[in-house]
Amino acid sequence: MSIRTPKNLIAESRVIVCVGTGGVGKTTVSAALALAAAQTGRKTLVLTIDPARRLADAMGIRELGNQPQRVDVADGGPDLELYAMMLDPKRTFDDLIARFAPDEGAHRRILDNPIYQHVSGALAGSGEYAAMEKVLEMSESGRFDLVVVDTPPAQHALDFLDAPGRLIDFLDSRLVRMLVHPALAAGRIGARLLQRPVEAVLQLIERATGVGFLDDLSAFLTAIDDLSDGFKQRADRIQKTLLGSDAAFVLVAAPQRESSHNAELFLSHLDELDASLHGVVINRMHAWPGFHEPPGDLAEGIIAKQDVEQLARALGDADAADAAVSAAREHAREARRDRENVQNLSDHAERRGCFFRTVPEQARDIRSLESLTGIATALLSDSEVAHV
Amino acid sequence: MPEIPLQSLLDCRLIIVTGKGGCGKTTVAASLALGAAESGRRVALIELGRDEHLHRLLDPASQPVGYAGRELQPGLWVFHIDPFEALAEYLGMQIGLESLVKRTLRQATFQQLLAAAPGWRELVILGKIGQLVNLLRDDDQPLYDLVVVDAPASGHGLIFLDVPRVIQKAIVSGPLRNRARDIETLLQDPDRTRLLPVTLAEELPVRETIELVARAREDLGVPLDRVVVNRVVPAPFAREFADLESRLEALPPETQLGALPSPRVLAQCMASRRARYELNHAYVSDLSGRISLPVVQLSDIPGGIEAPRDLLRLGRELLQKPGSRA
Repeated sequence: MSIRTPKNLIAESRVIVCVGTGGVGKTTVSAALALAAAQTGRKTLVLTIDPARRLADAMGIRELGNQPQRVDVADGGPDLELYAMMLDPKRTFDDLIARFAPDEGAHRRILDNPIYQHVSGALAGSGEYAAMEKVLEMSESGRFDLVVVDTPPAQHALDFLDAPGRLIDFLDSRLVRMLVHPALAAGRIGARLLQRPVEAVLQLIERATGVGFLDDLSAFLTAIDDLSDGFKQRADRIQKTLLGSDAAFVLVAAPQRESSHNAELFLSHLDELDASLHGVVINRMHAWPGFHEPPGDLAEGIIAKQDVEQLARALGDADAADAAVSAAREHAREARRDRENVQNLSDHAERRGCFFRTVPEQARDIRSLESLTGIATALLSDSEVAHV
Repeated sequence: MPEIPLQSLLDCRLIIVTGKGGCGKTTVAASLALGAAESGRRVALIELGRDEHLHRLLDPASQPVGYAGRELQPGLWVFHIDPFEALAEYLGMQIGLESLVKRTLRQATFQQLLAAAPGWRELVILGKIGQLVNLLRDDDQPLYDLVVVDAPASGHGLIFLDVPRVIQKAIVSGPLRNRARDIETLLQDPDRTRLLPVTLAEELPVRETIELVARAREDLGVPLDRVVVNRVVPAPFAREFADLESRLEALPPETQLGALPSPRVLAQCMASRRARYELNHAYVSDLSGRISLPVVQLSDIPGGIEAPRDLLRLGRELLQKPGSRA
């Protein structure tokens, strides 16, 4: 993809990954992009983690389904195929175990192991891994032309991208290979069997944790050892899919100073991973009516007395005129400040040949597909600042 | 909403600030720490996560503080707790052979294990936090009167605080289990510890806060006595001008106002500011109606935090404002 515009984003990508820090509206932007793609005739799935209730209602996905549900788009016609799905991380992980386990006994041993129960359920990282696993499954299923992913709120912004790689490293590590050795499954460290560095590590773990933990860990690793080739292949494919040429990243940010600064940090992390950034979206910009440039004098507070007096005469009320002018002044300031805050991100996007779009703040929450269409229109417009 | 006086946060030893990402958790943690330091407390403010942000907020000219920490404002020390350093410190103390620990930690084998192993980051970070709470001066008074933690966002924050319990379930005995138990005792101590959720008057943050409060009460047992709603927008104009939008729209469109925007545009400005304010306040009422906890509202700072003085203003507001209840 040489020219990175919103239109070729939704026309050519096979996977779109919306990234950004929490609370900036990634889910809304993902859903709007998916809707726009579906409207061009591509069979599209939006995979989301934790949508706002009204947005979920609007798309008809109130339940944690873990299966794609067709979104009923009014006036969409039979050719418009939009699907949405809310991810259940725990179930996705359990499904993986079921798929790779050689037999029912191995399957049960894993599900019953206390370490597995904590790894797959509550502890950090599994949600990110499960999300990426589902992206691969859906993208390889052949059922969709495009999968749009709303990334999970990671503790570190891009942890989800590293998650499959971390799993590969772990399963490949010498320590794991040693721990699945039958002599260790009994819980005693057969020192003669081991190379010295590994021995030192195991002794360190044992002294820090107590013996029981190593027993459980060894039992767990022995049980998943049969599955590890399957896992490794999956994890490898996940990274290839996400960092390959068919995937495109869209960075979503808010126009507040802190958020746009975090977004700049995010950009440098994306660069380190060699991920292909396609565009930058600023959500909930404070916009001047008509989306014109806010009047500079008003934003500066330069207001001619006779103008205010004219308004006071027209209204027959001097206090009301003051109130109206000061509300407009605050509004102009805010619109200008947002523009200034996102200037750096806009420059970054231009330098990288990416698109840059702003979506104006909506007066109310997204509660219908129609309001989502408004956002899609803003995203797909030919210019940076769009009418909605 | 009636106002209720709250016990001062200054009487706590450990305050864990959490909330949905993007709600201004870091800002609130820094403000609280700065306000407490201004009132004469010695405060340790703890930042977690890969990148350091706090030092720039508190002193725009400063360099990152690192694990060793630094006093960035009078009475306010900032620490960036990296789990690897916390682990090295912990194992060094535990085993006594610091050089062996350091050599082992540097091994590729161990690095791979750590990269994939769950739970240990949270545990060593919580352990370090506990250590800062318990540090004493020569006269046996606490080195830090108050420790404020800018904790992970709520989903991960709950997992973070839950790790001591999970570890006690997964490990039957040994030093790690004892460590987890000690940390849990501190986290659940109503005399020393508070969980302080920060939210915004918007749909998702409010919903997540309701879930957070429920989980904190039912599963974690970490004491909490108020919720902070950040960035509450003030009324854009006085109540008496409620009909001003329609009066402006009723003016002839050709009305000349010099350099001012047209009456129609003025009306649109007022309408969009009013809509935002009304939506904001509907969510504050919704929240305080659904959690039986006082809600402390912090005002929106137009343009965001620019300087430490903005933080101080918020910190005073947070320490002095009464809560309100639906």
